[in-house]
Amino acid sequence: MSFSRWLSTGGVLLALVVAGAIGSWFVSPAWTRIRQHDPALNLAALEDALGQGVTVALLGGFRSLVADFLWLANNAAWEARNLPKSQSLIRLTTAVDPRPLYFWINGARMIAYDMPVWRIDEQSNRKVLTEKARRQVDCEQAEVALELLEAALRHHPSNPLVSIEIANIHLRRLGDVETAARFYRAAASQPGAPGFAARIHAELLKKLGRRKEALEWLVAHHRKLDPQDPAALAAVVLQRIRELEESLAIPRPERYQPGP
Amino acid sequence: MNPASIAGSLARVRAIARVTWLEAVRQRFFSVLLLIGVGGVASGLFFREFNFGVSELKFIADFGFGGLTLFGSIVAIVGTAQLFFSDIDNRTVYTVLAKPVHRGEFLAGKFLGAALVLGVFVGSLGLSIGAVLAWREQAILETLIDIPDSPLVSYATVASLVLLQAVKLALLAAITLFVASYARTNLFTVVVCFVVLVICHLQPVAQEAWRASAALFPRVMGGALALIFPNFQLFTFKDGPSIDGRIPVGDVLRVALYGIGYTGVVMSLAIFSFSRREL
Repeated sequence: MSFSRWLSTGGVLLALVVAGAIGSWFVSPAWTRIRQHDPALNLAALEDALGQGVTVALLGGFRSLVADFLWLANNAAWEARNLPKSQSLIRLTTAVDPRPLYFWINGARMIAYDMPVWRIDEQSNRKVLTEKARRQVDCEQAEVALELLEAALRHHPSNPLVSIEIANIHLRRLGDVETAARFYRAAASQPGAPGFAARIHAELLKKLGRRKEALEWLVAHHRKLDPQDPAALAAVVLQRIRELEESLAIPRPERYQPGP
Repeated sequence: MNPASIAGSLARVRAIARVTWLEAVRQRFFSVLLLIGVGGVASGLFFREFNFGVSELKFIADFGFGGLTLFGSIVAIVGTAQLFFSDIDNRTVYTVLAKPVHRGEFLAGKFLGAALVLGVFVGSLGLSIGAVLAWREQAILETLIDIPDSPLVSYATVASLVLLQAVKLALLAAITLFVASYARTNLFTVVVCFVVLVICHLQPVAQEAWRASAALFPRVMGGALALIFPNFQLFTFKDGPSIDGRIPVGDVLRVALYGIGYTGVVMSLAIFSFSRREL
């Protein structure tokens, strides 16, 4: 290649680099916002799926469709009780399309509630498992599900349903009431949270023996409720407040008086 | 350059663009892809029971824009390369350039013709997506007891996304002409451009690797890739439209200007490269 050819190639590359630098600077405010809404563009989020078809999805088209096909494949693996395949497909589906909460929540439920049963059934064919070994399997699967839900929380930080699912796994699979109460509280504090999150948080506080704290929580919650909204179940919350006041022997004049 | 020569130059560019457009319309490739594209958008309706995670309208929009991106990219790369190389292979380019037509005018005319083809293609598919969404939105609203205050679909958002796709595909056509300006065969151009398309879509990942890596070589490579290739993920906006929400107008304009600016730079390089090519 002649010198002038090298020179022109270098000039072309230089022009592209300069254009790229100016373009990146110009478009960076918009790009920052796009990245905030689409964390799947992060390298870390793609690591689960690189080389497995995510390129197709990333090319900007048919992302939903690719994720749906993967979810269907996952359902087939789930029916066949194929744990490694199902677990991988859940991760791949959520990596390809992290937007729908459906994949995260149902995937976590499969991992935390179904897969321990498969593992225990498979091992029980060979030997009778001790309670400790069963517990170990439950904990291992719960940890995997919680890891998935923590990733879901990064994609859907303001969705209370993710926190509720985390709380449920801590409560039902790990028996960790303290952490479950913390996540129910986090869920109840988010906008659009279902009313039961606040009520369950209070119930868990009662279970932990922190009845005074539960009473304060329920009173604060009741104050925010719309008495005209039947879904808010204000009467149920008030009844629980009364039960707590009764059990804490709070004198009548000091008891909570709801506003008009 | 006096105004008369500018007007003459523009007239020559327009004439070449017109001939390119007519040539594209005569080629069955464009018509067939247009039909497949519109059919693909409409076929989203058959898959709507198939969506698990997202609402039906979102799924239809995702599916439609997926088709637009896929078929649009094929038209932008294969169509543009074919339009360029047909003149080289048929030796029409010699006849054209023997007249007082500058090589830059020839290439600009080719680009405008290809951009017109892409505009019609994107417009047709965009209208199909809008029509399918409007039809299903109406059907869904009829089944709802509580009619929501805000509309289910923001057509301004859909239009913005269609516009951004058009800009992106025009940039892809410019890249194709740039590669074609020094390539010897149609096949080479098409293969290289599809590789470039993948790189441009994965460019943000390269950017991230560039920042994350401690080693010098990956950092340099990632940085070079991120600077040399445009970022096509910018044009997708959340990789599919948030059809019920609005995309900030400022962001749409910024991304559109980014695409137009890049197209200008790439076309200038294509003209530079083509003007030095031995025919």
